[in-house]
Amino acid sequence: MTGINLVPIHAYLVVSVLLFAIGLVGVFSRRNAIAVLLGIELMLNAANINFVAFWRYGGGVQMEGQVFAVAVITVAAAEAAIALAIVLNVFRRFKTINIDQINLMKG
Amino acid sequence: MTATLGQYLHSGAFWYLFAFVCFAAGVLIPGLLVVLSRNLLHAALWLLPCLASVAGLFLLLGAEMLAAIQILVYCGGIVVLILFAIMLTQGLGHADVRVTNQQLFWGSVGAAALAGVMLHLLSLQMWPLGTPTIPGDVTGRLADALLSPYLLAFEVASVVLLVAMIGAIVIARAEPE
Repeated sequence: MTGINLVPIHAYLVVSVLLFAIGLVGVFSRRNAIAVLLGIELMLNAANINFVAFWRYGGGVQMEGQVFAVAVITVAAAEAAIALAIVLNVFRRFKTINIDQINLMKG
Repeated sequence: MTATLGQYLHSGAFWYLFAFVCFAAGVLIPGLLVVLSRNLLHAALWLLPCLASVAGLFLLLGAEMLAAIQILVYCGGIVVLILFAIMLTQGLGHADVRVTNQQLFWGSVGAAALAGVMLHLLSLQMWPLGTPTIPGDVTGRLADALLSPYLLAFEVASVVLLVAMIGAIVIARAEPE
């Protein structure tokens, strides 16, 4: 880990910002509900890169950054399970998962 | 010149930089393809190299445990779950006629504006960061942190997972006719 001084923290943060923006485009623009979920996963990963980068460049002694990253991964797993169950249920009822065609509050 | 270049190549610093560039490209290019692929199945499969490269960035930062968790949970769990959902809803290779909604332009503009603002804030160099030390036994300290000061968060996370599992079973269950 001697080479870590070569890469400033800003490099990691730039990667994180760009990944977040890519995920945001996906959430804004896709019609398919599962594709929106993919965008959300990208945004969560961008947040995780930030947490771990600040943990490391903040000295690496206090472990809050990694604990937060573990919590984010846990919540992402739970969210994916619930969201995909909802997607299956919606598909069963509406025969589509394009979110601009699902506009009934009560099917 | 060649001697210094050789020393540079052998110092390990070059390879650290090289690995960082590879992993950064491995995050961003598949990330773009996730968002832009017309076929949803391809988009979900492009998520795989993207998440694996994020695990590589974690390794470069010295968080080995998180890299392992990333591979196991994201690449092994969430991507497979998403692939199952895609197969169950629209099947193989059936590309939609129109994969984006009307907000593609303004959504891209908004995301680019947000990225521009954040990059501008980054360029202001607001973080006076010392030289990073070698963290030593990272995984052991992560375990200590999870089981003593953050024990409550750890237990709440397990309850969240249990509730999500039961909730997913209940929601996705076939309705009694």
